[in-house]
Order: sequence, then structure tokens, then C-alpha cells
Amino acid sequence: MQTKPSDLGLVARVTELTKTYGTGGAAVTALDGISLGIRRGEFTAIMGPSGSGKSTLMHIMAGLDAPTAGRVWIGDEEITALNDRELTVVRRRRVGFVFQAFNLVPTLDVEANVTFPFELDGRRPNTTERAWIDSLIDSLGLRNRLRHRPSELSGGQQQRVAIARALGSRPALVFADEPTGNLDSRTSREVLALLAAAAADYGQGIVMVTHDPFAASHADRVILMNDGRVAADEGRLTASAASELVLSLASDEAAAR
Amino acid sequence: MRTLLRGHAATVLVAALAAGFGVTLLGLIRILVIATEAAIAGAALDQAPLVLVIVAYVFLAIAIYVAAIVTTNTVATIVAGRVREIALVRLLGASAARERARLAKEGLTAGAVGAVIGVAASWALLAAFVLVGEATTLLPPGQTYAFLVPDMVVPIVAVVLTTWLAAWVGSRRVLGVTPIEALGAAVPSDAAHPAGSRARATLAAVLGGGGALLLALGALLGQASPLGVFVGIAGGITSFTGLMIGAPFVIPALLALVGRALGRDAAAVLGVRNALRHPDRSARAAIALVIGVSLVTMFVVAGMTANAIMYQRMEDHWGTTAPLDPAFAMAMGVLGILVGFSAVIAAVGLVNTLTVGVLQRTREFGLVRALGLSRGQLRRTISVEAVQLAVTAILVGFAVGIAYGWAGAEAMFGSFQVFGPVPPVIPWWLVAGIVGVAALLALVGSLVPARRALRIVPVEALAAE
Repeated sequence: MQTKPSDLGLVARVTELTKTYGTGGAAVTALDGISLGIRRGEFTAIMGPSGSGKSTLMHIMAGLDAPTAGRVWIGDEEITALNDRELTVVRRRRVGFVFQAFNLVPTLDVEANVTFPFELDGRRPNTTERAWIDSLIDSLGLRNRLRHRPSELSGGQQQRVAIARALGSRPALVFADEPTGNLDSRTSREVLALLAAAAADYGQGIVMVTHDPFAASHADRVILMNDGRVAADEGRLTASAASELVLSLASDEAAAR
Repeated sequence: MRTLLRGHAATVLVAALAAGFGVTLLGLIRILVIATEAAIAGAALDQAPLVLVIVAYVFLAIAIYVAAIVTTNTVATIVAGRVREIALVRLLGASAARERARLAKEGLTAGAVGAVIGVAASWALLAAFVLVGEATTLLPPGQTYAFLVPDMVVPIVAVVLTTWLAAWVGSRRVLGVTPIEALGAAVPSDAAHPAGSRARATLAAVLGGGGALLLALGALLGQASPLGVFVGIAGGITSFTGLMIGAPFVIPALLALVGRALGRDAAAVLGVRNALRHPDRSARAAIALVIGVSLVTMFVVAGMTANAIMYQRMEDHWGTTAPLDPAFAMAMGVLGILVGFSAVIAAVGLVNTLTVGVLQRTREFGLVRALGLSRGQLRRTISVEAVQLAVTAILVGFAVGIAYGWAGAEAMFGSFQVFGPVPPVIPWWLVAGIVGVAALLALVGSLVPARRALRIVPVEALAAE
């Protein structure tokens, strides 16, 4: 019998993941045989220089992009072979997203943005879900903003709405792509603390892609990527340790030259 | 040339349609004059009957006016899509006035290119008509049907100039682009409020209400004398002006009403909300179509109602039941089609507004696709938007047209009535035509943009700046 990802306490898993763009001599390898598991309640930061494959990895794990080879699971469901319609439903029900910018639907107010994944499923949140969403709205300080449009909110407020939406459907996994990229340092700290709390308090699996060593220092686990491979897989790091980890790549390269 | 015409395909097409329409009308009148001279020995018309020429110019003016509204909208949409680019050149030191002049010049070029294409197509069409006409002896043989007349310069020049002017008006938003928009947030700022003021709303209400009263008064006076039609015409023009000025207030409200009937699911809501996001744009796109549809409806309903009044009178006098003259109905149909040409131009504008709207929302569609909107749902979002716009515009045009047509008939022929006012006559073929046009527009208006939207790959859209 095959081992299920959940038997290992994993909410997401990839094995031997390869992604190449283009063909022949122009082919670029974005991911080069990566295997990785994300545990329940774990806040994981993926770091690496531009072009290291960290965004591609996140997109494939989230069902936004298809791998060239390898297998991907969300929970116990393998998503590698799913068609576009099935993948869409997986994203809607099992994955939450927080992007760097342009996170919210501009024509919907805050409340409609938060419940948008439910609306896409053609249903209203049930009583339990409603209570959960209400508690999120309160703890994120959005209660008196429910009727506001995204354009009427500050960057930090918009990011909090995105977090409320990402956690609202209690997905297996939340992906955050440079969630603090557009925020000032104080708001960044708030957003990172919220993500960390979501993992610690609600057992939410969170994967955050970031350039920022300070952001990575809030995570339980820091994965460093380089040239489409995992270059390091560490536990909690301070901001300076995370920074040194990234810089070590540069010195390795300098040494290799 | 290619870069100069970037994004102006709709403007070129609209200018071609308007110029081609005008030239074709004048050419047809010329051919008609030659044919009449040949058919009736001794008839030396030489000049076209004045009334025909006037009618042709009225139709042309309506078509050019609608074309100008459409082009204003097209250019406004282009500006919205180029905000970051404009902001960048502003940042590098270009003045807003220069950028605006550049857009107006693009409009001028597009207008000129369109006019040339339209005229060429029109001449080809006229030549083909003459060939076929001679072959089928529809046109008396033995004549030289030289359809080129110097007047043809008028539609050409008028189209080029109005396109230029419309591009100038439509590019007003350039002045509001700040250099800082080239940096900073990638989120496009939404103009939440219609470019209107309380004064504008008041003016629209006064003109609309006052005009409607005058129109009713005209119909009432018409019960005593055909001169009531002059009061009616004044009321019609006044109230329609009110509708045009008030469009940014009235149309979005109606769009919301129609939108609500189209569904409450997430996909429908996304589509419905979008039409309300740029009230000015939606209002202009709709009002261009309202003009075309209301004019057609007005002519047909007025003609058919007047016809009914006259037949009622004949029956009363001679006691015979006269059948409706099919030739009259056909003439109404032809007239309706000529008037309705502006509806074709408006339709081009409507489809363009929807298509460009999709292109400008690439990131938004990428986001909602990532969040779990299926391709089927995306298709629904886009068709809801098209149906909402087409149905609203056509319903408004139809209702307004019936009111005008009936009031016009009563104002002019009311005094001939035997048994008091007759109800408006709305022929089934008009209703069928309107429903057909609405369905066709909604279909084309969803299919063309949907093809673009379904090609959006969420990952690429989210990465796009």
C-alpha cells in the first residue's frame, strides 16, 4: 500500500518535480527534480534569487501551472493529472492565495471579496464557516470596512482582506507570494505575524515566497532555492541568518568562478 | 502608420462605415436621377430632388453623430489602457497637452484612413450596383451611370473632422494622468463617480421632463391641428437632449436593474459590476445604440400609426375595409434600415468597448481564475456583461422610440382621427428585428471578448505589470 501524504502529516507534497520552458537548445530548466513536503501547521518560507524557480514551484504546488515531470499532491489528492476544470475547483476549495499586489477584485467590497471563494462554489458559508469568517474579520480589524471597495483601503488593509479571504475557506494550504513586497515595515510585521498565527493557532499550512530575509525570519522553516534545486532546508532563522544563507549562494558562485 | 493606428481599429472601422454610408447615399441618389431621366422621356431632372438630398444629409448627420460618440468612447478607453505609458513619458518630461495632441492626431489619422477605406468600398459597391442593375434592366439601359458627384467631399471631410474632434474630446483624461502613476501601485485607479455634477443632473432632468411635457402637449394639440407636430418636434429634441446629458446617471441605474435580472451568482456579479465601474464609458456605449434603435422605432411606429389613422378615416368615409398597403410597410422598412445604419456603427462601438474592457482586465481575470473561477464561469461573466449592455440600450431605445413615434403621429395626424387617439402601431417585424439585433449583439459582444479572455493564463496574467 502506498503511503498517503497525510500519513506523513503533510498538507502538500511534490516528488521529482521538473519544469522546463522552451525546447532544444533554448530550453530553460526552472525546476530540476525537486521533492518536498509541507507539514500541517507549518509556516514555510521559500527564498532564493530571481530565477531560482521559487515562483514556479509555488505556482505548480498551487495548481496554477503544470509540471513537465514529477507528481504533486494537495492533501491526499494528486493534482498532477487533473484537467483545467478540476484544477480550478481544487484552487477554489483547497488553496488560499495572498499575492504581492492586485489581490482583490476591484468591483467587490471587502465582505464580498472575503466570501468570493464560496460564491464561486455557488453557495453561502454555513453557520460554522460564517462564525469563522466573522472571527477572522474581527481579529483582522476589518469589521468597519466591510462595505469599502479595495481602492478605498490602504495597502496593509488590502493585504489583510486577502489574508481573510485566503483563510476563510480553511484551505489545506495558503500560498503567499511576496505578501509584504508593497508594504512598509510596520505593516509588514503585522501581516507576517498574522500568517505565523494562522499556522500556529489554526494549524494552517502556509508557503510564503519571499526575497526578504526579515519576512523569512517569521517562518518556522526556511527553504533556499537556487537553479531549480533546494540549496538549503533550515528551521527557524533570524533575519541575519536568513540573509547570510542567501548571500552564501553568491559567495559559492564567486568561489566557483 | 502601424504604431500610429495602435488600438484604433474600431475608430477606422467606424469612420469607414460613416463615410461609406454618406457616399453611398449620394451615389444612389445620383443613379436614381439618371435612371428617372432615362425612364421618363423629357424629364430633365439634372438636379436631385431637394427633399431626397435633405433626407440623405439628415441620415448622414445622425450616422456621423453616433460615430463621434463611439470614437470618443474608443479613445477614452485607449487612454485608460495607456495610463502607465502616458505617465512614463510625463515623468520623462512630456507635457500633458503634447500627449493629448498626439492622441488627437492619432484620431485624425484613423479618421482619414477609415474615410478612404469607406469611400473605396462605397464606390466598389455603387459600381457593382450599376452593373447588376443594368444587367437585370432594373436600371434603364443605354445610360452612363456616372455616380461620382462633387458633394461626396462633404461626408468625407465631415467624417475626418468629427473623428479628430471626437478623439480630442475622448482624450481629456490624459490631462489627469500624473507622472507618479508610472511608478507605484500596479492597481489601476478606478474612476468611481460619473463625470457629472449636480448641475448636469439638474439640467438633464429639466430638459428631459420639460421636453416630455412639450411632446405630450404636441400630441394633445395635434388633436386639433397638424401644427401640433412642431411643438412635438421641439419636445422631442429637448427631451432627447436631456436623455443624452443625463445618460451617465440614468443608464448605470438601468444597467444595474437589468443586471440584477441576469443572476446573482459570482460569475454574473463580476460581469454586472464591471459595466457599472466606468459609468461614463458604459453610458456612452449604450447611448450610441439607444440613438439608432430609438430612431428606427420612432420612424416605423410613427409611420405605421399615421397609416392606421388614415385607414380608419377612409373606412369611415367610404365604409370599405382597406387592407394595409404592403408597399407602405416596405417603404417604412427601407427608411428604418437607412436610419438604423447608425445602430450598426453603435454596435461596432459596443463590441469594441466590451473587447477592450476584457484586455484591460487581464490581471483581474488572472486573479479570479487563480482563486477558482472556471473557464465556463469566465465565459458567463463576459456574456452577462454583453447581454446587460445590449439589452438595456435596446430596451431604452425601443421604449423611447415608441413614445416619440406615437406622439409624433398623434401630433401630426391626430386631427384626422374619427374615434379619438389610436394606440401606437408596433408591427411584429419591428419587434422581431429588434429582438434579433439584441440577440446578435449580445452573441457577438460575448464571443469576441471571450475568445481573448479564455486565452488568459493566470500565472502570466498575475506576473504582467
